[in-house]
Amino acid sequence: MYIFRHMTPDPITVSPDMLLPEARALLNDYHFRHLPVVDAQGTLVGMLTDRDLRSAYPSSVISDSERRLVYERVEQTSVSEIMTTECVSVEADSTLDDALFLFDRDQLGALPVLEDGRLVGIFSNRDLNAAYKTLFGVGEKGAVLIGIMDDGSTSIMTRVVTLLEREGIPFTRVLRIHDKREGDTIYLRINTFKIAAVLGLLDEGGFTIKKG
Amino acid sequence: MTPPAPLIIINDQRYLQHDTGGSDHPESPERLDAIRASLDASDCLGDVCFMLPQAADRKWLTTTHSENWLFRFEESVLTGQTYIDHSDNQVCYDSYDIACLAAGAGLTAIDVLEEGKGNSVFCLVRPPGHHAEHNFPFGFCFFNNCVVAARYWQQKYGKKRILIFDFDAHHGNGIQSAFEEESGSYYVSIHEHPSFSYPGTGYGDEHGTGEGRGTIVNLPLLPGADDQQVQNLLQDVILPQLEEWQPDAIIVAAGFDAHKADDMSGLHYSTEVYYTLGKEIKGWADRFTNGQLLSILEGGYELTVLGDSVESYVRGLLGK
Repeated sequence: MYIFRHMTPDPITVSPDMLLPEARALLNDYHFRHLPVVDAQGTLVGMLTDRDLRSAYPSSVISDSERRLVYERVEQTSVSEIMTTECVSVEADSTLDDALFLFDRDQLGALPVLEDGRLVGIFSNRDLNAAYKTLFGVGEKGAVLIGIMDDGSTSIMTRVVTLLEREGIPFTRVLRIHDKREGDTIYLRINTFKIAAVLGLLDEGGFTIKKG
Repeated sequence: MTPPAPLIIINDQRYLQHDTGGSDHPESPERLDAIRASLDASDCLGDVCFMLPQAADRKWLTTTHSENWLFRFEESVLTGQTYIDHSDNQVCYDSYDIACLAAGAGLTAIDVLEEGKGNSVFCLVRPPGHHAEHNFPFGFCFFNNCVVAARYWQQKYGKKRILIFDFDAHHGNGIQSAFEEESGSYYVSIHEHPSFSYPGTGYGDEHGTGEGRGTIVNLPLLPGADDQQVQNLLQDVILPQLEEWQPDAIIVAAGFDAHKADDMSGLHYSTEVYYTLGKEIKGWADRFTNGQLLSILEGGYELTVLGDSVESYVRGLLGK
């Protein structure tokens, strides 16, 4: 659940005095969208995004002469002049959930990861998706998700897990979701092709299968 | 010389010898009995000629599977294991030999097609194949019969643009794994959405990677989807895609477990949709491959409707 297990460590960084064409070439060459900006001590001083660069470069609809003038200025502009300095960051021992809340709140694409103020990694929205995909077993070969109604009865979780274990049905996830609209549900990620047999056993065990 | 039968069916009583341990396993020998009974009672029977398969040589199995898996499979059955890796994958002493015979049916069929002895061949085999991976069995499947056939067609007869179309209710993860990084082979699958169905793969945004980008078309359907949705996909999505690809060989992974009576999926097809599929696919073969077509049985587990579903597909292939 810790960010340091899922981040890209030692990311490519730029210095605040790097000129924009060089920074843009880095983003293009590596297909990045975010570049942490660090000083000589490795301390994070800002973030440069592809959006910052797009804003700095001339628009495609202006005249050639105007564009030339803007280019000349851009070529002399350093990263520090356009980077975002008020960066939201996470610590290496922050959790995936911490990052999820930040991505959700600030609509970010990536977060710099710090340890004692020094940059140690970068954690992107894509890393978060991959981590949760693994956590919930999405796309895992051989798995199927079955939902059963959670009637709130005492020990329903014990009963369902006991049934699966007793019948030798491989399963990898049990999720209990409280949902006012759709009704409380227990999701089971079952690893077997014999789905009909599992549904039959759950039915015999007194559980109600949710359709869809 | 007698003209070839409109449809050749490859089948063998030895396929019944793959024993999956009793009646609670859906992939049972009775599946083939049910299919044969429906075909024997059908007025299509006069247009069908039956043939026996040859077992696939190791040389062809290793185009698709690792030597390690072949050894492990053979050793597992000879030492009396009852399943391999997962209790889904039940085996008996004869399973290795029968799986070789199942994979070999496609090769026998391709020789028939290429020698001009027939135009359309349907292999009624078990164990099925489309879940089997390079190095391990999966979901009742041990050798990927469709992929072994595709490799044979490519390597022995030089096919350049081979299509596998899979209408089994479950995504053929093994076929996608084999094809997704290469050009010159295409996989189209209609299946129940992976969020609801085994094997949990086959999302619509998987299109292949690297040189294989754009060669995979997954068409997941939500539980309850019926004949109309299949019909729409055939016309609006698959046919235009085939026009672009221009396949020079077509293999059909023919699974019948999307029937509304089959509780191995939540799809809701009727028996008649398999007629539509057969007719449509025959049309593709006439259009793209001079009528040459190879179909290989995959799933279909509800014995009360399996035979009639297959008969309906055969009727569609024959245009009767």
